[in-house]
Amino acid sequence: MAATVTKAGTPYKSSGMLIWRLFFGLFGLMAAGVIWFSTARPITVLPRITLAPGFYLSDQNGERFTSEDLRGQIVLYNFTYTNCTDPCVATSQVMAEVQSRLLTVDASVPLKLVTFSIDPDRDDAAQMAAYSTELGADGSVWHWATGGAKQLKSVIGGGFGVFYDVREDGRFKLDPAFFLVDGSGVIRAEYRTEEPDIDIIMRDFGLLAAEVDHSEGIYRFAYEAAHLFSCYPR
Amino acid sequence: MIHVDPRERNFIIGTTILLLIFGTAVLVSSFAFGFQVPAPVERLDPKLVATPGQSPWGDPVEERVRELAPNKYEVYILAQAWNFQPREIRVPVGSTVTFMVTSKDVQHGFRLDGTNVNMMVLPGEVAKLTATFDEAGTYNFVCHEYCGVGHHTMYGQLIVEP
Repeated sequence: MAATVTKAGTPYKSSGMLIWRLFFGLFGLMAAGVIWFSTARPITVLPRITLAPGFYLSDQNGERFTSEDLRGQIVLYNFTYTNCTDPCVATSQVMAEVQSRLLTVDASVPLKLVTFSIDPDRDDAAQMAAYSTELGADGSVWHWATGGAKQLKSVIGGGFGVFYDVREDGRFKLDPAFFLVDGSGVIRAEYRTEEPDIDIIMRDFGLLAAEVDHSEGIYRFAYEAAHLFSCYPR
Repeated sequence: MIHVDPRERNFIIGTTILLLIFGTAVLVSSFAFGFQVPAPVERLDPKLVATPGQSPWGDPVEERVRELAPNKYEVYILAQAWNFQPREIRVPVGSTVTFMVTSKDVQHGFRLDGTNVNMMVLPGEVAKLTATFDEAGTYNFVCHEYCGVGHHTMYGQLIVEP
């Protein structure tokens, strides 16, 4: 090759070759990078499922409680009512277990739990406060809230897509479900079972907390790339 | 260097570029845009799916059309040889309906006329699609995967009431 460069008339030809080599080289590098990123998955993120519903309710102290109060915080939602004897008892126990393990998550933003009561007729602030104390709820971490029946239906049924309906005996039919919502109010994980794997919930809290910690500078682009390439936990 | 006819060389270059473009398109669509063949949203045990208390498909048939919120419905349809349960669904006009269909025996299909709801229904997997109904009328749904001698009797109706 070196010999051809010295010949008159050939440099143009060899620089043309160089451009092609650069073109194919860069293309190969890019393809290799894409394949590496999406198979080795150096960063794992939770999918952005859909926007969580906004709400304007009152909490276990009888104070105003809205979705805006939870901006910038990572929140696990759950639904129950205090007269419940069905699967919702188990889901409240799951929430209590998650609360006891929240401190193990390394996070720079507050991690919160929120339970909505679907039975506003019977569950007033005092009733919710008594029930949550019984479960060992820490009032600064685990909020309880309820509101008008119409709004609850549109938030829980319409927004979260969780079916519930009152039965003739005054009890409710309620599908067990948990939702993990990030600081921007986007649903990032849903667990539609009465006995979710708590280790997975804690892992997902950790993934969201890590995403918050890496939301600046070059890391931000790396995390966006992870979203682009669907690097979701398996 | 061997001699290559310029036209032949151009042809080689052209096809190579074309291959690279298609290769890139495949990589970008699968990895960047996440295009996938329709995957089941949920897996369950087809033997237990119709058992009361095990899943929404085990609920009484009249409770399988659920109103999540005004004008927002979900329907749990159980496909079996050779019918759909429920076979008649009524929703008001303007409703958004999410169809959750599963089979308890063999492979079935679910196609709703006049919409793009067209799914393969496999035992052990949940097929899910959403459609909005802005016009009142009767929409027929049929099984369009041959499932046995009674296949032609496997149909139902979605009635959108004004």
